[in-house]
Amino acid sequence: MSIALFLSVFLIAACGLIYELIAGTLASYLLGDTLFQFSTIIGCYLFAMGIGSYLSRFLNRGLVARFVSIELMVGMVGGFSSSLLFLAFAYTEAFRLVLYVVVILVGTLVGLEIPLLMRILKERFQFRELVSHVLTFDYLGALGASLLFPILLVPKLGLVRSALVFGIFNAGVALWSTYLFREQIGRAQALRIGCFVVLAFLAAGTLFADRISNAADNSLYADEVIFSRNTPYQRIVLTKWKDDLRLFLNSHLQFSSRDEYRYHEALVHPGLAALPGARRVLVLGGGDGLAVREILKYPSVQNVTLVDLDPEMTHLFSTHPVMSDLNQHSLTAPRVHVINTDAFRWLDTNTEQYDFIVADFPDPTSYALGKLFTTAFYRLAAKHLASGGLIVVQSTSPLFARQSYWCIVQSVKEAGLRVYPYHVYVPSFGEWGYVIGSFAPYEPPRQLPSGLRFLSTNNVGELFVFPVDMQPVPAEPNRLNDQVLVRYYEQEWKDVAH
Amino acid sequence: MISRRQFVAAPALIGPFLIGLGRKTDRRIAGGFVNDSFPLGHRLRDHGAFRAPTQQLRVPVVIVGGGMAGLNAAWHLDKRGFRDFVLLEMERQAGGNSRWGESDVSKFPWAAHYVPVPAKGESLARELFEELGVFRDGKWDERVLCFDPQERLFINGHWQEGIEPEDGASPRDRAQYRRFMEKINEFRASGHFTVPMEHGAKPSSLDRMSMADWLAQQGFDSAPLRWYINYACRDDYGALARDTSAWAGVQYFASREPEEKGPLTWPEGNGWIAGRLIEKLKRYLRTGDAVYRVERSRNKFRVLTEQAEYMADAVIWAAPTFLASYIVEGAPRAEGFQYSPWLTANLTLDRIPERNNPEPAWDNVIYDSPTLGYVNATHMSLATHIDRTVWTFYWSLAEHTPEEARRLLVAKDWDYWKEAILNDLARAHPDIRQCVASMDIMRIGHAMARPAPGFVFSKERERWLKPAGNIFFANSDLSGFSIFEEAQYRGVEAAKGALRLVGRA
Repeated sequence: MSIALFLSVFLIAACGLIYELIAGTLASYLLGDTLFQFSTIIGCYLFAMGIGSYLSRFLNRGLVARFVSIELMVGMVGGFSSSLLFLAFAYTEAFRLVLYVVVILVGTLVGLEIPLLMRILKERFQFRELVSHVLTFDYLGALGASLLFPILLVPKLGLVRSALVFGIFNAGVALWSTYLFREQIGRAQALRIGCFVVLAFLAAGTLFADRISNAADNSLYADEVIFSRNTPYQRIVLTKWKDDLRLFLNSHLQFSSRDEYRYHEALVHPGLAALPGARRVLVLGGGDGLAVREILKYPSVQNVTLVDLDPEMTHLFSTHPVMSDLNQHSLTAPRVHVINTDAFRWLDTNTEQYDFIVADFPDPTSYALGKLFTTAFYRLAAKHLASGGLIVVQSTSPLFARQSYWCIVQSVKEAGLRVYPYHVYVPSFGEWGYVIGSFAPYEPPRQLPSGLRFLSTNNVGELFVFPVDMQPVPAEPNRLNDQVLVRYYEQEWKDVAH
Repeated sequence: MISRRQFVAAPALIGPFLIGLGRKTDRRIAGGFVNDSFPLGHRLRDHGAFRAPTQQLRVPVVIVGGGMAGLNAAWHLDKRGFRDFVLLEMERQAGGNSRWGESDVSKFPWAAHYVPVPAKGESLARELFEELGVFRDGKWDERVLCFDPQERLFINGHWQEGIEPEDGASPRDRAQYRRFMEKINEFRASGHFTVPMEHGAKPSSLDRMSMADWLAQQGFDSAPLRWYINYACRDDYGALARDTSAWAGVQYFASREPEEKGPLTWPEGNGWIAGRLIEKLKRYLRTGDAVYRVERSRNKFRVLTEQAEYMADAVIWAAPTFLASYIVEGAPRAEGFQYSPWLTANLTLDRIPERNNPEPAWDNVIYDSPTLGYVNATHMSLATHIDRTVWTFYWSLAEHTPEEARRLLVAKDWDYWKEAILNDLARAHPDIRQCVASMDIMRIGHAMARPAPGFVFSKERERWLKPAGNIFFANSDLSGFSIFEEAQYRGVEAAKGALRLVGRA
């Protein structure tokens, strides 16, 4: 009996610390400045626990029922805390407000727990023994949680599921308490029903954690993080959930292994298959090697040069067993040369000519990245096109960011190229857009390499047909001195999120 | 429960960060004063001892001063096929206010760092830029138009885009901004505010009052608007609005109407223009060749430097006009000419400050600071990722009289200015001291002409516009203010005069 009692102390202590750690980690992930986030969150949390302990004196009757309800509340608020915070970050401007409200709420409730429990138990134990036991298990719970959190929870469950699982523990303690102290409560049945309802909610949350985090856009932390590194250039995170492998750069999804073939086949083949005998190919960006994997399906291609800024990115996709399986060891193929440098500068200092150029850069989320989508950039890239050559540009979503998409098309056109816009549906991205630029008239290919999973000679022409809701809209070209694209893009994705 | 967990969690998590911070704050910053020109300047002023030249050369035209005016005078002479001239510069590096420096991180300017995109009427500037290959078929090369984002202002604890204070501006402030711009549009429509100024300037009562008085007279009392206009005066003239002619204050705003988002700029600022001109004209250029005396001998000049005595038919005086009275025989004192002293510093950062959002702009200004903020030299880089950079920090010391400010510049040591600059920057970048590896400071005693009230349409200025016999004055200070286009115009006009004189017009 007494062991069972103190085990619940252990559990609720662990839950309390977990919520605090989750809030701190999440705030550091999303906002940066770890010191500030952890420091203020711990401070607020401890202060809120103080409030809770103080408030406990005002609870007089029906202590066990109160304790059970408080456990259920902690379970609900704490359990859904990381989901709530992710969603708040994705959809509102008030992330900080939500963060501190959640922290203070959970802290206050957790602060009520131990004083109430000690008062409930004071009849059963001597005070000396009681204080000693409760505090011992409280500390042990904190230790367990703080070890479990970085070693097991974050890597294996992710932040969304970890919070939910510990919410279930809280609700479990509540349910268990209704049996442990059954003689001290009058309406145990009603409380138990409450416990089951909360448990059902949390269990459902755990099952739908994927959707919650997908909805929050920055879903990576919900899945198992199998690789995470801050390079001087970006934060690379790889997650895995069942057979779905996902790459995130600075929290932006780059691909999901379930459907990346759609994206990469559509990126490479409409252009390259229309260039029989293409020998020299240049890939700008695309350090994951997936576009190169598609390019290597052409025996005529003798030489692929890949220019990606981040050596850690190309190293990861050359050496990591899972990653290099996915790109079929394309980055270490003898025909492929990897250069780690800034693409714009490299083009500027180089005179090589290519039959096919792939510009596969991250979306223009900043003025720095926006430079890679300017008329100046396309003009320079066009100088590297061999006669009859083609360039294809990853151009964000023509559905979610319609004006951004047509702005990129306009920018390629402004650089003196004919433009051939097209799009494809990639489930993890939505509708996605590309544009082919060329000096000579272009026609979709009549032949494709064998073994493609998405493209066929039947559907390749359809990619160039735009439904009404993705038709061209007026857009200025994006210039170095006037990066309208960055402003269009920010506005349009903000509208999507709201 | 509270106190216990505090012990467990807080020190363990925070401790290592605090230790890390403690170690970094004592960073030593290298640097010193560079390019000091006043020792030589004072020797010239005080008629100090100079070695007599050993050789005598006959050169029909001598240009004194290798800044923008002198370089453009030379550009014009060369373009007209006239080759018999020399361009004498006292410093080791020509360029004057368009000098620049270079390190393994970036090129950077030492003073002038941009040219507003020349409008259609500015044919002279367009001609030069066409020749330098950045203006073709009526289009500007995108790579020399200042990249987006151009400007930002640190105000109310954070950065806003643009330097016109928007953050915290009340509806009343905004109404005054609008009314001010309407006024400016009226002035622009008058056609009296042009670049170069000589093409349109008409004597105006505006010149008889200060910009601050004019603002008060017009009922402009919005604090952010006044800050903004004061900033403009400090930036272009090195003077507060109360020390600037209202005509010049209006000229700053009303003379421009660019068709293209700009300005034109380069990592080394206007040093790029100077560098290209020096490259073109190097065969005429003698650097480190200070002219210490210009004597008249019958209808010719003897131009004396330590290297040579040049016998010339015509002299183009492209050095600051006030220097003529110390060096040119018989030249009167340059009454009414005032010059603002400046301090510029180039800071090498091997770390980019944190909390730097929105993205760093080219021009970064701190509201309510006595300084002018900084320009980021790597902003014009094509690279998407920058991990080291150079900031050029500008300070026109406008709240002092020019004489006081010059005394201050000489009296205070490098450490004093370094601390003042870091303290100023720390308002916007708390971690600046951990980011700066070195700071070189340049002190310029007579950096730019100051259009004090009454000067632009004064008899004194008018007197210097006419050539004194065979001396043609060319410095931009003849316009009352020092900007590239005025220097270019004055230089070319003087060159035309000299060509007429030597019979080659």
